Amino acid sequence: MTAATATATHVAPPRSFATAVHHTLRLTQRSVLGRLRQPAALAPSFIFPLFFAALGSASFQRMSKLPDFPASSFLNYTAAGAIVQGVLFAATSSAGDLATDIEQGFFERLLVSPVTRTAIVIGRLGSAMVVAITQVFVFLGIFLAFGARIETGVVGFIGLTVSGALLALAMSGLMSGIAIRSGSPEVVQGSFPMVFALLFLSSSFFPRQYMTGWYKTVASWNPMSHVVEGMQGFMNQPLDIDQFLRAWLIPLGIATVSIMFGLRALANRLAAQ
Amino acid sequence: MLVGCHLVVACNLVTSAPIIAHGLVRHFGSGDNTVRAVDGVDLQVDQGEIFGFLGPNGAGKSTTVRVLTTLLKPSAGSATVAGFDVATQADQVRRSIGVALQDAAIDPLMTGRELLDLQSVLYGIPKTRARERGDELLERVGLTAAADRRVGTYSGGMRRRLDLALSLVHEPSVLFLDEPTTGLDPMSRLTLWEEVRRLNREGTTVLLTTQYLEEADQLADRIAIIDHGKIVREGVPRDLKSAVGAPTLLIDVDSTHAESARTVLARFGDLRPTSEGTLGVGLVQGAEAVASVIRSLDEAGVHVRHLELNEPSLDDVFAEATGYRLEGAEAKSDAPATGARRGPR
Amino acid sequence: MNTSIVNDAPRSATGREHGGHPLSVSGALVRRTLLRVRRMPAAFVPSIVMPVFQLIAFSGAFGAAVRLAGVKNAMDWYVPLNAVQGASFGAMGVSFGLINDMQTGFFDRLLMAPTKRWALIVGPMAGSIARAALPVALVIVIGFLGGMNVPGGPLAIFYVAVAATGIALVASAFALGLTYRMRNMGAATLTQFAIFFTIFLSTSQVPLSNMAGWLHAVARVNPMTNVLRLARQGLLGDITWNDTWGGLLAIAVMLFVSCWFALSGLKSLEK
Repeated sequence: MTAATATATHVAPPRSFATAVHHTLRLTQRSVLGRLRQPAALAPSFIFPLFFAALGSASFQRMSKLPDFPASSFLNYTAAGAIVQGVLFAATSSAGDLATDIEQGFFERLLVSPVTRTAIVIGRLGSAMVVAITQVFVFLGIFLAFGARIETGVVGFIGLTVSGALLALAMSGLMSGIAIRSGSPEVVQGSFPMVFALLFLSSSFFPRQYMTGWYKTVASWNPMSHVVEGMQGFMNQPLDIDQFLRAWLIPLGIATVSIMFGLRALANRLAAQ
Repeated sequence: MLVGCHLVVACNLVTSAPIIAHGLVRHFGSGDNTVRAVDGVDLQVDQGEIFGFLGPNGAGKSTTVRVLTTLLKPSAGSATVAGFDVATQADQVRRSIGVALQDAAIDPLMTGRELLDLQSVLYGIPKTRARERGDELLERVGLTAAADRRVGTYSGGMRRRLDLALSLVHEPSVLFLDEPTTGLDPMSRLTLWEEVRRLNREGTTVLLTTQYLEEADQLADRIAIIDHGKIVREGVPRDLKSAVGAPTLLIDVDSTHAESARTVLARFGDLRPTSEGTLGVGLVQGAEAVASVIRSLDEAGVHVRHLELNEPSLDDVFAEATGYRLEGAEAKSDAPATGARRGPR
Repeated sequence: MNTSIVNDAPRSATGREHGGHPLSVSGALVRRTLLRVRRMPAAFVPSIVMPVFQLIAFSGAFGAAVRLAGVKNAMDWYVPLNAVQGASFGAMGVSFGLINDMQTGFFDRLLMAPTKRWALIVGPMAGSIARAALPVALVIVIGFLGGMNVPGGPLAIFYVAVAATGIALVASAFALGLTYRMRNMGAATLTQFAIFFTIFLSTSQVPLSNMAGWLHAVARVNPMTNVLRLARQGLLGDITWNDTWGGLLAIAVMLFVSCWFALSGLKSLEK
């Protein structure tokens, strides 16, 4: 070792909005790569929704012939539910990666670097949105290939894509908060039943009008029903402002709260160190 | 005639060693990807012996043990344990041996006592005897107080002791210990050594694999050194060390003087492989030659930072046989890690 | 104390005469399964919660579809499905347990036991039945609370239990066979996929007559359809031999194949 004092070859610039954006994009890229390198973790969020859609279409085709059925075919009906299912699963699974980072120490490696703190969470949300958009494209591509139609055309396609991304943002914010608070992938995994409950106790898989009793009441109160019905509107109804209100505003509202929860969890963890 | 037959049988029992292997081979993979983890091992472990199997990680020790304990079938060659063929009489072999593998094979959710009970069932020990036996073994290995605690709460040393107890439940005549003290603190290591010696005094034949020279030196009556799947040396530790011959003079010099130092040392004896940053030479005259060596180095302008004179060790035996030192070395073998255990890929 | 723990009598060359009796060994492994469930309940909870939740969710969400097919109460249709599904969760537990044993090295200890190899398979399989008992019972109880009809009488519930038990055995044997071969968590995931698709590509949601196209073709040949028919018959109407023998045969054949798969997987470990 020489007598000269070792100096860093690069001094980190003072934090700025541009830096924050750069860090966020970089961490988003890392998260997306991480997801792609775990196909076994990513595959279920594509395979299961498509499977349930195929199963539902083949099982409930007779129902779709009823005069009051809210879609031209069961495939058209179930497309929105498949997107919602895939997005929710992928976002939850992605939060597991964040918990793993904490458990294995990579999170602390980030903290000792000059990375913008919020980028740690926002980067994860960004990757969830990227995956969600990909899912929307893949699912709609497959559904359209099998005979589904988007009544509202290109606008509806964009509407569905934005809705999927906003839903991913909402779920990912919530799950990231849970991941940061617990630091445990098992705890995040344990949240899957909540996702199941949100999905099944809604009109994701079957029209609300055919439900009865307490089940119908719960489904009516479940915000997921309204998000899905807004997205189903893009698929099956003429363009209407109601579709945007339900498919965009509800996830946006949830996302606002969940992102604050996630950032708050991060702040608490940083304060505790 | 009856007496004669008994005599023949007795002679066979006496001459039949508990562990015999002839040309034992075990390979993994096929075609161009074949790895010969055990590559023609011949060995014989005599009744009442502690036999040490010494080698670095990946040398083939654990694979050899797994073949001898029927967890793997040999690819070629043959082996008998307790008089039974490991390939065709696996069941009889299992009844005769106790095994403690590299990782303590325990269930962390069960208590020590529950594991001993389960082991008794696996070996067909009647319930009344099983409970007694469990208590004896727990006392023996010093785990009576912890017997009803879950094994997941045990320290590393306690797990090893329990593992040993489990391998002794059925009073085996042959005991295989695969790196039994790896990862243990010095005190626990010494305790386990004492336990192995006691078992041996009571008549158990022990085959022990280790990468620790001191362990082989302390415990084994005879050792075999294995490298790249082959036995390269075998014999009594004392004889192996004296066969290496001269003590080794180890010196630390500045790296800029290493070449000059090597030239000087070569005049006094054979250069020997050493760890990085150190040079070694075999001095036939021993300590008497040290002064001459220092003078010659000084005349050559070599500044010696540190020197020591070591009597031959098992590491020297290993270095002489393989060309590199065991301590701090990994075998340059391609043996796959999964060959050593049936763990997850 | 310095007592010798080795028998002073001349040690026989064979050590223990017979080794562990296979049934005793299997029994000990069942007890171990139950012990692990008691000591790690968190791992067991999903296998209870999921079938019950899905029973409620399916009957609530898809009830109209099955009522359209002529079923009086959606519970009549879904209780057998979710009982069978609950029983199959035990297979995942078997796979996880085996992976865990392989990771800790405990599996080697079992392999070295001088007992029949099939005891190492029968034990976990029997353990999966023990694990399945609670979720299946809960599903049936929830079914009754939800107004499930039982025109077939007590025999109807018995056949639900038979179907669930059969699937528990088949699924666990399959899980063992896969895990012996793959030796990693991929086996558990693959087991889950295989069981999931087998159950749902049958008359899981609606009767055969209500299905269209490819699903009808697959469900017709899927043995699970016969198993569900066996389980459902007493809840939908009278119990007949016609609706019974197909399910029993399907379970028998699947059991034979999956046991062979498990045993050959275990033997491949010793090669």
